[in-house]
Amino acid sequence: MNPSAQTPVGQLEAARSLALGDGRYYPTIIPGVMPIIGANADASIEIRRWGADFLAETFASPTWPPDVKVPCALSVLATIKEYLEGVADSGVLRSAVQAAASIYPLVYRHIIADPADTQHWQLMLAIKSNILRRMDSAPPGVRICCVKFVQQIVLVQTPGMPPDPRRPEHTDISLALVPRDHPMIPYANLEAESSGLLDRLLGIIHGDHRLDRLMARDEIPLTMYSDALLVTATLNSLGMLIQRRPAVITKILSSVMNFNPLKLANSPMTSKNKVLMKSIERTTRALLVNVMKRNPEGPFTGRIQQYLEKIHRMRIDVLDESNRKRPAPTETTDNLDAAKRQRLDAPVPIMAPAVQAVPALPPGPVSFRQLFTLNPDGNTANFDVQAFQDPEQLLRILVPVLQSIDETRLGSSINAVRSRYLTLSTAMPRPPVQAPAAVDDEEEYEPDFEPEDAEQVMNKLDGAPPDNFIPERISDAPLAPYRLPEAPLLTVEEAQNHGKMTIQRAFQMLSSIGEPNLKTKITKGGFNRLAASSFDRDSWITILSRLATRASAGLGDIDQGIKSEFEVKRGSLGLGESIRNQLYQYIMSDWRKRIDVAISWLNEEWYNDNVIAQSTKPTSKPVANGNGAVSVTDKGNYQRCALRLLDGMLTYIEGTDKVLVRFISEIPGLDMSILSRMKKMAEDPERIDLAIMVLQYLYMFRPPVRELAVDVLVDMWRTNDRAKNNAKKLLLRWRPEALQEDREEAFKTEKESANGALEVKAA
Amino acid sequence: MSVDPRLARSRPQQQQPTAVPPPPPPPPMGSLDSVSDSSLVVPDDQFKLKFCTICASNQNRSMEAHLQLALAHLPTISFGTGSLVRLPGPTVHQPNVYNFNSTTYRAIHSELASQNTQLYTANGLLNMLGRNLTIKGYPERFQDWVPGKPRLDHREDQGAAGTEAGVVDVMITCEERCFDAVLDDLHNKGGKLNHPVHVVNVDIRDNHEEALVGGRAILDLALSLNTAAAKEREVLGDGGWDRGAGAARQGFDEKVPDLIASWQERWPNLPALWSLAWL
Repeated sequence: MNPSAQTPVGQLEAARSLALGDGRYYPTIIPGVMPIIGANADASIEIRRWGADFLAETFASPTWPPDVKVPCALSVLATIKEYLEGVADSGVLRSAVQAAASIYPLVYRHIIADPADTQHWQLMLAIKSNILRRMDSAPPGVRICCVKFVQQIVLVQTPGMPPDPRRPEHTDISLALVPRDHPMIPYANLEAESSGLLDRLLGIIHGDHRLDRLMARDEIPLTMYSDALLVTATLNSLGMLIQRRPAVITKILSSVMNFNPLKLANSPMTSKNKVLMKSIERTTRALLVNVMKRNPEGPFTGRIQQYLEKIHRMRIDVLDESNRKRPAPTETTDNLDAAKRQRLDAPVPIMAPAVQAVPALPPGPVSFRQLFTLNPDGNTANFDVQAFQDPEQLLRILVPVLQSIDETRLGSSINAVRSRYLTLSTAMPRPPVQAPAAVDDEEEYEPDFEPEDAEQVMNKLDGAPPDNFIPERISDAPLAPYRLPEAPLLTVEEAQNHGKMTIQRAFQMLSSIGEPNLKTKITKGGFNRLAASSFDRDSWITILSRLATRASAGLGDIDQGIKSEFEVKRGSLGLGESIRNQLYQYIMSDWRKRIDVAISWLNEEWYNDNVIAQSTKPTSKPVANGNGAVSVTDKGNYQRCALRLLDGMLTYIEGTDKVLVRFISEIPGLDMSILSRMKKMAEDPERIDLAIMVLQYLYMFRPPVRELAVDVLVDMWRTNDRAKNNAKKLLLRWRPEALQEDREEAFKTEKESANGALEVKAA
Repeated sequence: MSVDPRLARSRPQQQQPTAVPPPPPPPPMGSLDSVSDSSLVVPDDQFKLKFCTICASNQNRSMEAHLQLALAHLPTISFGTGSLVRLPGPTVHQPNVYNFNSTTYRAIHSELASQNTQLYTANGLLNMLGRNLTIKGYPERFQDWVPGKPRLDHREDQGAAGTEAGVVDVMITCEERCFDAVLDDLHNKGGKLNHPVHVVNVDIRDNHEEALVGGRAILDLALSLNTAAAKEREVLGDGGWDRGAGAARQGFDEKVPDLIASWQERWPNLPALWSLAWL
């Protein structure tokens, strides 16, 4: 600091504060100040800085009107020019350029009105060219001010709203004011200049302004140190151009919307680059949102929204905001929080007390109720459980309450009661024996179980009048062993209901396990597998189907005969039947995905049927082959269940459900009744192909049922006109003789019908 | 004689930071402690940037920061960007709502104190308002601010020295919504002063503890910005920027991104944004 400058600066400050107090003083103060700060005055850098700041502030001030500013502006041009040309302090330069930006419109307007004033316009032009020269070379702090200056030129040299003669004070200084034949400032030149300068401004956003310098000086890469400054400064200066100069909206907006605010993403993700990238993006967004807000119906709204969405997505991609979410607040390690809390001098609710405050017991004899009541003020202390007549209701309340108990609090409460009890039992002399009104002889006390039993006693006492005293000698009174009351015998019906509920629960669990991942390769356990070696769906299915098939096997009446489906539906009584019902429903609820369940269940059924058949009729012929068409146990559960499942599925099956092929081919036993379902299915023209496919598959891969399949096909060929063609192709290969017979027959009938009553010739 | 801190503004001699009166309401001791360190006070003969702190209601975050900057002798004004001053009420759905620029902190304080002293003492509102009314008269709305309009009527406010001309160099917003609102409104204001202003957002959650921490962070930022700006004026001096070399040639404005980046590393929990805008 230059002490000699103190006095002049002090004087200048006094003048300034006068003007700050009332803007009307500016015209009188400026002439007084200029000799001190102005050109030709050999002022110190301190004074010049003050002077430049003052000029910038003065001509920006809203406290005095523009038309008064004009003559003053003309008087300071020389000083500003001198600052720009003669002083190389960036502080002075910055303020001088700011002042020039405020003054340019004023002088411009003056020249429009007074075309003869060449002198001042020459000064202004010198200032202008000086500033424009600095645009590319000055330090960034000055360059941003140059950007603003250029924006001012563009503003006044672009056509705006036509002047409103009724409100001259609000006249917008724009190219619209300039007469076409102005001698000093030709309209076309101004327009061309502003257009060029606007291009230069927009070039800054896109970083083009540095390319030539880059190549020439092999210097700082783009967006390295000052781009963000210049780019945001430019973006923030464009807003008012868009507002006030409709002529250039399209140009500006299309340029801005070609701008990629995240181009820094290619550079290393330092914390600085991240902040800059976010900042540029945010600034761009603020500009465009402002445009939309001012004119929501405008023609650009749609495009702007698209652009904003695009950069939003890009920002998420680039910055991965999910990782940048504010982390959970960490407790500050210094004492700040405590200090802060102390200031709140208010009963702050204690969030997690380390030790619960336990009120002292009242003096004198205490009841159990008092002993266990840790919170005498609370509502719970006066709560009578007996108010609940319905134990169910009580349960509904109690269970969640118990679940929500905080373990540490419970522990500390138990400890509190324990210590109370200890002090009580040591300090307090036992009162003489009183009739233990509420404590019966049976409910005596055993010290080993102290906490629990004390609670039990307390539970009993709680409802009793509170004047029960601690009974005498509880410590060594024996307690009879407690036995649970014997449960009443279940009726058959109840037992069945419970059984059903158990099964239902098992299936509920099954659905909660979820479907297995189809991708994973599961090795089939087969019949000898351990039913459940893991907690997955397959294990449960195996357990359940074995329960259904094997658990009650042989218990029923063997000669009972096959149960009709009607019987099954009516609800059979056995455990097996209800599991089968549930399995059936489980499969049918999503049969396409659960076809494997169906197959493994039916396999279990088939296996069990055979085992039973062997054990009950050891003399009968053994089962030769799983694929055998003739099953030993015609009456078995297998066929019944298979038919039921098949019938159930056939209702829903569509022509494209190849899963049926798998089902038919993987179930262990096939007979006419099962395969005739295919014939029935083929009555639906859309499912003919599927039926044929099933039969063809069986023919190819299950030779034991080959005959059966062909029989069915022949049958289909005969009875189903729509299936004739498809069936014929296969029959030609498998059993051409069948076709032959039929052709003869058909021929015969044809002849008959053709000839009517005429005699038939042999073919 | 008992001293009511709420009357502090009417007693200019008591506005020295060392003379904050005792409770009630409790004085902002925490803030005082944090700046009692002389290294956190900018000497008056040094160059000073002019600051502006902005939050939603000009009550908690911006005022805490305003206080801390003012206690560091930095020229400071503060604003809110909301449409109304909103303070918590008895329930979430019944906020207390006041107009900007006309309702004084004192009026809000006495209204809330008469409404429910215990509640508003417990949630810290009265304490906050008691602090605020020692700082300035009333909450101000950013959108109603006319930059460049002299603020001589705010001479009594803390941190007023240096802000008489109604111009600031740095604006610090306390949440992204406010940052957006400030940039948006500056477009509307039109940059008539041609004065560059660095707008910095420091994301602070709106509670007393976070405001205090955020205030310290903002002070840290402000001091580092101010040091850089002051250094620029020393280093460059007469003779200009082209005499220096390397970092010395770098002026204040282009250093701001670096300063914010290194500040962000010191305060990683307070995400920052920045933009150079125009007053």
